[in-house]
Amino acid sequence: MQQQPGVQPPMPQPPAQQPPSAPGAQPQPPAPAEQIQDAIDEATSGDRIIDTDRGKSHGLDKCPRCGSSDVHYRIESRALVCDYCRNEWNEDNAEKAFHLDTPIQELRGDHIASGAQDVQAGDSMVTIKCQGCGAEIVVKSDETLQARCHWCRQVLSINHQIPNGAVPDAVLPFTLTREQAVEQIKTFVDSRRTFANRTFVKEFVPDNVKGVYMPYMVVDGNLHTDLRGTGEITTRTYTVQRRVGKDQTVSERYWDASVHELGRSFDVLVNDLTAGSSRQYDRTDSSAATNYILDAVQPYDTREALVFNPNYLSRFTSERRDLDIDDLDERVEDKFLTIAREKARPTIAQYDRGVRWEREGVAIRGTRWITMYVPVWLYSYYQQTSKGSYVHYIAVNGRTGKTMGSVPVSHPRIFSLACAGGAVATAAAAVVGWGVFLTQGF
Amino acid sequence: MDTILAAQVLLADGGSSEGGLFALALPFVVGPAVFGAIYGGIYRYYRNKDKRFGFERETDIQVGNLQAFDRRVGDKNRQRSATMSGANQDDPLQRVGRLEVR
Repeated sequence: MQQQPGVQPPMPQPPAQQPPSAPGAQPQPPAPAEQIQDAIDEATSGDRIIDTDRGKSHGLDKCPRCGSSDVHYRIESRALVCDYCRNEWNEDNAEKAFHLDTPIQELRGDHIASGAQDVQAGDSMVTIKCQGCGAEIVVKSDETLQARCHWCRQVLSINHQIPNGAVPDAVLPFTLTREQAVEQIKTFVDSRRTFANRTFVKEFVPDNVKGVYMPYMVVDGNLHTDLRGTGEITTRTYTVQRRVGKDQTVSERYWDASVHELGRSFDVLVNDLTAGSSRQYDRTDSSAATNYILDAVQPYDTREALVFNPNYLSRFTSERRDLDIDDLDERVEDKFLTIAREKARPTIAQYDRGVRWEREGVAIRGTRWITMYVPVWLYSYYQQTSKGSYVHYIAVNGRTGKTMGSVPVSHPRIFSLACAGGAVATAAAAVVGWGVFLTQGF
Repeated sequence: MDTILAAQVLLADGGSSEGGLFALALPFVVGPAVFGAIYGGIYRYYRNKDKRFGFERETDIQVGNLQAFDRRVGDKNRQRSATMSGANQDDPLQRVGRLEVR
């Protein structure tokens, strides 16, 4: 495989020094082809680290034009803006900068971006020496990646990756403004007011929406999959008249079918599959909050992600990644299998009675993992219940505006309408049933 | 109302004493069914628990090098349903037995 810039292959070992051949010694036979192939496979299958660190030291991250450290991301401009000289700029596209656009079919082994390495437990306090005045400022990196020097008022940033999951490889900045998000949330709730919990209706203030960067793992996969199952094809349909009384018959429809064993085996190239990597917002755990909402506002245009710069987080909040690749790889493998099953569907159209997949498997030839912050406008509502509080989210995709949410319901109101509907249906069914009964009798 | 119409058709087909008894039981079936459908439908519309990102359709995916085999192994006659039992081709999220692939 061609070496890619930015990718650190395993350290090449120098060839073993051959002792000079003794006169008369027998020449060694060449290594068999299998051994050579094994050596190539071994060399290409290990984990590789893609270096995505910006290489800057912690401290001032200045405007390239005037040198100010007061920089923030302005959604209307879709760019970082210097608060002093109004200079606007963006970081490079992450896919191009880190050469993540190399063909997926060439992936062998696991390629892991440096920001996606395992989170290490430890002190999250980072001490930054201010380059402006020399003061030492402590930043609690679990909560923020920037702090203002309390002596010279310059903004200090955590500029290179630290192993606590707070610094991703890439960031997808907001393009949807706060006002647009508020309008989306308002529209979403307005269509759900009638049967909403009355306390929620009183307390709903869409302006409380917050811009949050959520951590995701973005995975490319080079796979080979194999599916086995049984399918049936209709060969004949017919109707049989069955006698049920002295002079009455019923029609019964039957199907004859041929039964087939089938298998499908194919290569799959997956580009930018996403997996949430925050334990608190884990999609599979909705015991304390409606986490599934955050999953439902995808997809994100991950190809547009930029090289991470902490100034993109200025004036927003961010959630630290606390799930590692080991925590997610089974889930991602399940997603690969789901993709395989979905992609097999067009190949089984002839089985009109259906296919029962019984065995499935995937061989993962290569993967590429990077971490990314994606933008979400999030409205949270804490509903007080008898068991404590439960959090309902209404989320808006910060790129596309796709909106999804959970509105707490008023059970008495739904119950009333359902009772009314049930009563009307019961009455209608009684009329119909009685009519049929009179017609047919015992 | 679809349920009622379907019941009418069934009862008309049956034409037996069983049909007459079923006709009397119809309100007790249809009423709770409509109650459940209204309750469940509104709850789902508000809470959206069934919503998820359809990654298997919306992710950028390429497939190739397809190898397939289809082998007829038998027949099933006089089946009462138009679909085979246990069909799961439309439920890709359901996991089945694992196969080792190399």
